[in-house]
Amino acid sequence: MSRAKTDRIESGRSPWNRFIYNDNTVGYIFASPFIIGFLAFTIIPMLSSLYYSCTNFDLINEEKWIGFANYINLFKDERFLNSLKVTFQYVALSVPLKLAFALFIAFLLTRPSKMVSFYRSLYYLPSLIGGSVAVALVWKELFARNGLINTNLSKLGIDTVNWFGNMSTAKWPIIIMTAWQFGSSMLIFAAGLKEIPTSYYEAAEIDGANGWQKFWKITMPCLSPVILFNLIMQLISSFMVFTQAFVITGGGPNDATMYYALYLYKQGIQSRNMGYASAMSWVMLVVMGTVTAIVFKTSKQWVFNEADS
Amino acid sequence: MKMKQILAVVLSAAMVFGLAACGSNTTAETTTSTETASVDTTAEPTEAPEAEAAEEEHEPITLRMAWWGSQTRHDRTVAVIELYESLHPYVTIEYEPMDFDGYFNKLATLVASNDVWDIFQLGSNFPTYQSKIYTLNDFIADGTIDVSGTNDAFLRIAADEKGNQVGLCSGVNTYGIAYDPELFKQAGVAEPTENWTWDDFKNACLTIHEKLGIYGSSKFDDWQAGASMGINQEGFGIGFFNKTNDGMGFDDPKMLADYMQMRADLVDAGAFPDPGACNEIADIEQDFVVTGEAAMTWVASNQFVALSEAAGRELKLINPPRKKADGPAGVSIQSSQMLCVSQDSKYPEEAAKFIEFFQSSVDANKILLAERGIPTFTAVREALAAELTDTEKAVYDYVDLVGSFDTGGETVNPSSPECVDAVKEQYKYYLDKVIYKEMTAEEAAQAVYDFAASQF
Repeated sequence: MSRAKTDRIESGRSPWNRFIYNDNTVGYIFASPFIIGFLAFTIIPMLSSLYYSCTNFDLINEEKWIGFANYINLFKDERFLNSLKVTFQYVALSVPLKLAFALFIAFLLTRPSKMVSFYRSLYYLPSLIGGSVAVALVWKELFARNGLINTNLSKLGIDTVNWFGNMSTAKWPIIIMTAWQFGSSMLIFAAGLKEIPTSYYEAAEIDGANGWQKFWKITMPCLSPVILFNLIMQLISSFMVFTQAFVITGGGPNDATMYYALYLYKQGIQSRNMGYASAMSWVMLVVMGTVTAIVFKTSKQWVFNEADS
Repeated sequence: MKMKQILAVVLSAAMVFGLAACGSNTTAETTTSTETASVDTTAEPTEAPEAEAAEEEHEPITLRMAWWGSQTRHDRTVAVIELYESLHPYVTIEYEPMDFDGYFNKLATLVASNDVWDIFQLGSNFPTYQSKIYTLNDFIADGTIDVSGTNDAFLRIAADEKGNQVGLCSGVNTYGIAYDPELFKQAGVAEPTENWTWDDFKNACLTIHEKLGIYGSSKFDDWQAGASMGINQEGFGIGFFNKTNDGMGFDDPKMLADYMQMRADLVDAGAFPDPGACNEIADIEQDFVVTGEAAMTWVASNQFVALSEAAGRELKLINPPRKKADGPAGVSIQSSQMLCVSQDSKYPEEAAKFIEFFQSSVDANKILLAERGIPTFTAVREALAAELTDTEKAVYDYVDLVGSFDTGGETVNPSSPECVDAVKEQYKYYLDKVIYKEMTAEEAAQAVYDFAASQF
């Protein structure tokens, strides 16, 4: 604390001044916009959704308390169980693909070159616009029956694919779109790569290690904390996949892309079972919390920590 | 070190919590996105021309209005709003044109927040929103709304069974099949007649697909065709829901099975678009009949003009196929939609005045051109009848044709119960299961029936 400030506090005789110049007060005042926002737009809606999850709220009529009936019905609902299944499938396919892609590009962009920052911005671009409805609409056109992808496939003499009419292919355009938005993971990886001391590589080279060995023995262990961070961030956001499926497939065909958040929306807004949808969102919280906890638990086995070694 | 790890866990737990909170609020998020989307197209409240003002002094007021529909409807409705504002400079109307699903999604959230638009559009699902509707009986009684230009029958189609006038009908319509006679000729298929059956429809689809390599038919409103109207075709007085909207109107689930089986067979044969292809059609102007990829499609009669204009070819209208050639047609004339005043409105009287203008003014309807169905005010209908185009005339003739069908003396329930949206959703779900062969049509029919019955 600076000398001048201490003086000012001493000189402020009134209790008001003493209160307002107190470090804690200043801290809370500066944090208040966040705290107010967090309370009003996160905590209160969350608590009210907890309440509604035990009611038959339908947006229009007065709600009635029905206890845990919504939660019990959830596990009898085959569409709900299917949405869990396809969401896990989506997460299991899209997250590794996206991270591998992000790491690969980040690795390429560690080379010393004047164009690196240009390329980084370029590859980051899809992440900025990727979540938007406009891009999802473009994607829908690309993979349509007579879209660009199929037109080019047929020009190459390959059979066209009925992407959205087929239960097994409908998920791929969405997964590819997710992987395409690898920008933010890439930037974090790039920062992580920069942190690895070059002396490690030099030492390995002297010992005669090849590029592959350097990658597995030096890069991967040193990068593992960053991988953990990216993994958790992507897991969480992948579980909440909504826009792409909503715009591109509408959940179809035959619920092949009826992801959790989309089904929640259908129940809550379209069929107006808001109580049921609230229960779904709490189950989702538990599921995501569990998955994240498992990743943390196992991270001890594979995350290399310099301080421990 | 330990400290650092604990901190990491705590922070990321907080993050999961925060993000999951976003998850549970998906609904809120999407409404804001539709809101912003609609704001783009809305707004710009038009500057009222400096007309010499009305005789009386008025406080400036703002009314909010929303509707669903195609681009044609949006353009024409906005033009009428501008006309009304120029005649009543103290009124500003903020409008939100939307698509059907977006409209009802937003309406649901507005109902929950007691903030429904002053003037809003509803169809046969009005009982769901009854608590939000400001009934017009008083305005009709005190002359704010002059109904001398229409008749009781037309008023009744926008009223509930207790006689509450829930809105004013924007026009009458009915469902039908639009087809391209030229494609039928090329495929060597006879054009449908008013007594054609679903078997005829299926054979026509298969032959057209075989001969021309296109879809026989484009996307259908499966709920209407297979369930709502489909059950009406079983016999006079039989409906999916009963007339008091508190139970089922039929007792044999098998009545739902034939349509589902036919749909699955046609998709299998490639004569009907699969669910993925159907999903490519966002509105009537992109229908496969417009692009020449299908020879028939399901329409509401008032959509026929927009469809024909978009196609730029001669199309014809015929009633949907029947279950038996001499059985009930199932289709009936109904209120396509109506405009209602909301309970949340600060100026219900002004909103009612606008609705009266919208439905009964000849000038306004010369802009609207019966796009929401055939007008119910006599003067309007006559003014429009004088200058009908050929396609508009085809719609009038078709509605007359449906009006002449035998109804067995039964009136059709103009409304549907609150659970209708959930039942529709479940119907589509089971239909997909039949198409992808995860269920037989009989099992799906039984499942739909059980679900619907469990809603009461």
